[in-house]
Amino acid sequence: MAQVQNEKTLGEKLLSIPRGVLFFILVLATAIPLRCKVTIPNNPAENSANLYRILMSIPEGSTVLVQSDWTNSTRGESRGQFDALLRILMRRNIKFAVLSVGDPQAPQVAKDVVDAINRERAEKGERQYRRWEDWLSLGLFPNAEGTGNGIALNMSNTFATKEESDASGMKRKVMLSPVFQGVESVADIAAYIIVTGTKSSQIAIERLNNKVTMLALVTGVMGPETLTYYASGQLKGMSAGLKGVYDLETMMESGLNVTGSPNQVPAVPGEYPGFPGQTNLAKGTQYILTLHSAIFLLIAAVVIGNIGVILSRKKGQS
Amino acid sequence: MILANATNFWARESGSGGLFLMVFLTLAICAALIFGLLQMPSRLRRPVVATFTFVSGLFYVLLWIWPQAQDRKPTDLPANFTESVSFWLSDALPKIANVSNILTAFLLGLGVFSLMRVHLTRLAKKQRDWSFSIVLLVSMISITIFGYWDWAQRQGMTPLQLEEATKIENWTTARLGQSLLFDGLLQAMDAAMFSLIAFYILSAAYRAFRIRSIEATILLASAFLVMFSLLGLADLFWSNMINAAGGSDPASFINNFRLSEIAGFIQKTFQVPGIRAIQFGIGIGALAMGLRLWLSLEKGGVS
Repeated sequence: MAQVQNEKTLGEKLLSIPRGVLFFILVLATAIPLRCKVTIPNNPAENSANLYRILMSIPEGSTVLVQSDWTNSTRGESRGQFDALLRILMRRNIKFAVLSVGDPQAPQVAKDVVDAINRERAEKGERQYRRWEDWLSLGLFPNAEGTGNGIALNMSNTFATKEESDASGMKRKVMLSPVFQGVESVADIAAYIIVTGTKSSQIAIERLNNKVTMLALVTGVMGPETLTYYASGQLKGMSAGLKGVYDLETMMESGLNVTGSPNQVPAVPGEYPGFPGQTNLAKGTQYILTLHSAIFLLIAAVVIGNIGVILSRKKGQS
Repeated sequence: MILANATNFWARESGSGGLFLMVFLTLAICAALIFGLLQMPSRLRRPVVATFTFVSGLFYVLLWIWPQAQDRKPTDLPANFTESVSFWLSDALPKIANVSNILTAFLLGLGVFSLMRVHLTRLAKKQRDWSFSIVLLVSMISITIFGYWDWAQRQGMTPLQLEEATKIENWTTARLGQSLLFDGLLQAMDAAMFSLIAFYILSAAYRAFRIRSIEATILLASAFLVMFSLLGLADLFWSNMINAAGGSDPASFINNFRLSEIAGFIQKTFQVPGIRAIQFGIGIGALAMGLRLWLSLEKGGVS
């Protein structure tokens, strides 16, 4: 007896793409664009533009606190943000102290990146940032809430137990470092900048927002939640996700609101030059095409799945 | 405020003999308290723990509600009772923050202890998957050794020497081992684990994100618009269409339909208030839970 085979309808075919095929396409869609470093037209978000505006407005020689809570699990976004932040701070001779309140790995990751940016500067014959003189690693503070309260009310006492080697190699209290010269409380800090992939930014904002100018560089996942603090004015500027990295890099390349620059954000007052001729387009530029292909793939997957369902229903009804 | 050179208990100089004496006394008192607590009958433990919890919580409550001194100088002395309490609270805060940091750090130690106990037991008894326990223990011990070895070598170095030591040609065995294990393995695997999420997201987008209702359709459309606004190429394509339709004039109404404007409208009008409402809810819940814990109304956890 001849066996009748039911051929799959288009709807059923669309709904039965093997998982392996989907994953293979994802690998190709994300890996291939990584090899292409192209400059894609960009329209910086207002929050990224405000972040850049404030970073470029900090007086040279000032001190900022950088709360670095990211590790390599979010390096796709956080590494690019941290690189861009350090490049801006170093080019503008702004001193900084790095502390971490989240992951025990974070202080080492931050130190490694500072070393890498320093090597990049050395290769170009630029002055390297020296520990004790120009920057400090304050280490890990495991209790974010207590540390935030401590910094808000009595910063010098909160860091009183922290030590670093000075220019002669002798261990000294960090508050005696040139980085904290003239700094008695958190109000004397030019900005408190948080780089994170977690909610640690919120713990800091809730305790410090009325004491110091606060900026945040967060991952795309944390972007929507952090945006509420930007909308309320508690954060003065923020960069969210890979788009935020690319925003920063394009503004570093051609400035913000400068005549002739494609980066025009009318809502942000003032003109802020970039750093032409220097390493500006880095991780964000390298990954932005991958972001495009990944999002297109995601949209395509949702559309295909839904078309499949609609076609299957129609077939069932007929 | 009155100027004076005197300082209170909490403002003792870091590293001074007086502070060490206080630390020693505190440790002795704490040890005695813990010993006493262990010897105490179970029914008496609850009020003791409740009292400690209340006093600890009271500190932060007072810190929040008590008037804070403005522009206080290190040499200022309190002029009245309100300022005395305010000064005491603000001087105590960094010390208490340090104590809470140390207590939290103990959790790391507890985690290491727990891991070691579980995996050494599994190894000793040759339980299922004991070979993975070997990998974990060897990794943990070797990263600890190389980490401390590298750290010890850097002690006493001047910033210039540190700069030289970070150059790859000057790497020691300790630095090489630390870099291989931490940067080369741990960090790379960390990133690899996180990147697996992309596969789950794609699979879920294909199989689960269905437009079964009006609400789901609105959600999907909003998500697409916000995602498209992140893409420079899509934004450029859309902007060209808007410009062609009269958007070159900044005063034109059609400019409201630029992707960035639409996405901004969705985020500012729906997303931010929505998340804020959720956060208010969480905050009220946390306040209620915090009050229950502070007043020891939660019955579990103390025996």
